[in-house]
Amino acid sequence: MSGRARSGTSARLARKPISGSRGLLATAMLLVAIASAFPLVWMVLSSLKTTAETMQVPPVWIPRTPSLDAYEKVAGVVNVGRSMWNSLVIATVTTSGILVTSMMAGYAFAKYRFRGRAALFSLLIATMFLPPIVTLIPLYRMVGSIGLSGSLFGVILPNLANAFGIFLMRQFIAGVPDDLIDAARVDGASELLILFKIVVPSIAPAIAALALFAFVYHWNSYLWPLTVLQGSSDAYPIVISLSRLLSYNRGAMNTGLVMAGATLAVLPPLVLFVLLQRFFVDSIVGSAVKG
Amino acid sequence: MATSYRASAGIMLAPAVALIGIFVLVPMLLTIWLSFQDWSTQTSFATAAFIGFDNFRDIFGPTSVGRDFKGALLNTALYTLLSVLLILPLSVAFGLMVYQRSVAGGTALRTVLFATYMVPMIAVALVWSKLYSPTEGPLNQMLGLVGIGPQPWLSSPGTALTSIVFLNVWQQVGYFTVLAVAGLTQIPGSLYEAAHLEGANAWQQFRSITLPLLRRTLLFSAVIAIINAVQVFEPVALITQGGPVGSTNVLTYHIRRVGIERAEGGLGSAMAVTLMLSLIVVICAVFAVLNRKDDE
Repeated sequence: MSGRARSGTSARLARKPISGSRGLLATAMLLVAIASAFPLVWMVLSSLKTTAETMQVPPVWIPRTPSLDAYEKVAGVVNVGRSMWNSLVIATVTTSGILVTSMMAGYAFAKYRFRGRAALFSLLIATMFLPPIVTLIPLYRMVGSIGLSGSLFGVILPNLANAFGIFLMRQFIAGVPDDLIDAARVDGASELLILFKIVVPSIAPAIAALALFAFVYHWNSYLWPLTVLQGSSDAYPIVISLSRLLSYNRGAMNTGLVMAGATLAVLPPLVLFVLLQRFFVDSIVGSAVKG
Repeated sequence: MATSYRASAGIMLAPAVALIGIFVLVPMLLTIWLSFQDWSTQTSFATAAFIGFDNFRDIFGPTSVGRDFKGALLNTALYTLLSVLLILPLSVAFGLMVYQRSVAGGTALRTVLFATYMVPMIAVALVWSKLYSPTEGPLNQMLGLVGIGPQPWLSSPGTALTSIVFLNVWQQVGYFTVLAVAGLTQIPGSLYEAAHLEGANAWQQFRSITLPLLRRTLLFSAVIAIINAVQVFEPVALITQGGPVGSTNVLTYHIRRVGIERAEGGLGSAMAVTLMLSLIVVICAVFAVLNRKDDE
């Protein structure tokens, strides 16, 4: 039997359900896709409606004359440029830190033998499963007591290393051949030089995945910035600034405004995802299967 | 040579270990320590005064502190249970749709499903607060088209928590679908061939091959789904503020309100410790249940 064992793909191709069930399956897939996409499509459409259109019953699904009025109104309530810049600083600096610390630690865990390696690795990985609320209260006090509350650096500093990044980098660096590293050592290259000139280029896709994941995660993150920035609205990232839109003109009146704000917040991570989704998916699969 | 690598290992590990040590492990130990202290979050750690188990007595006691916390614990448990019970079956069903090759479009479906996972939770909350709007909201409008009366969604204590579960499932199910697909690719196709030759139908193949071999994936998914579920914060903070009548007061929101906004750091820490212990118990239970199936 093993002599003619087939790959999973060909076996799947071999099983063709009858046409009735294929129609059912196609319908189900279409419904799932519509249910999944609907809220975002509706968000964009509503952001382009006039105030009257957003309040109409039965609802107007597609705006008759798309207008950008709602976006202008958002800009009047929230300092969009400043908030976007803050989000960009937080996400970019945090991501850079995570990349460097994860690559270094991942290299050590993958390629060095040292006492306590397994125990230290387990301890770090365990933090991956700790909900942030468990450490929020003392962390808030600690960051406050070194004078960083209300500042972007206070948002960034505690997140410059994380367990997921270390885990992902170790998984991929373990696959880099030892011979490659030993050859460089014989040539007298320093360990840091080996890491950044030899190891890093050979796992570039995994690094891209980690970068994208970290960027989106920290662009979207809300609980910690809200806690550490309390009241310092100049430092608010876009997701916190936009949360104020809901209380502005509370009720049906503000639907277009809220949807325009939500669209602005969604665009950067969604555009990154659409451009580079292969990396996202690969790194999730890497984190699940290789574990 | 080994000595020089020991020094290198130290240099390579130092930044990550120092950062995670200082900003995760130390605060975690402080949370445990603070749970036994009378301490205001506005003051330095030095002002904390040891009071034994008083904080724990309070949060499980008959006063309003205890009632609110026990309510939040129960809400979080319900929220978590409901999320996991919806996410796991849906992720397997959607995973099969993405993985199968008899109808085209699986990869496109994966893209659409996973895209919602990229959307900031704050935007999800904003959009769904309007989708759920009782009169002009599209959800009630569409229910009206198929003859179902308007639902109160977020505005009634009976439906608010479930409504938040739905928006959370909508956002996260794509991630778990990708995990399910990863699990499906690990199942050898030859098993299905053999079952097919013996005349097993699709449902029998699913029950006796797919589901048992997905167990490791489902275990991983369940743990991640549980940990994600206890972190729900944005929709509650933004839309319901824990209401109506405390029905959406979940732990992350409640602990932050007590420990940061009301500055009752000792009480909040006791709640956080209780959450941590509950999570450990629940995750051990999940492992035990899924491992017992191994023996069958």
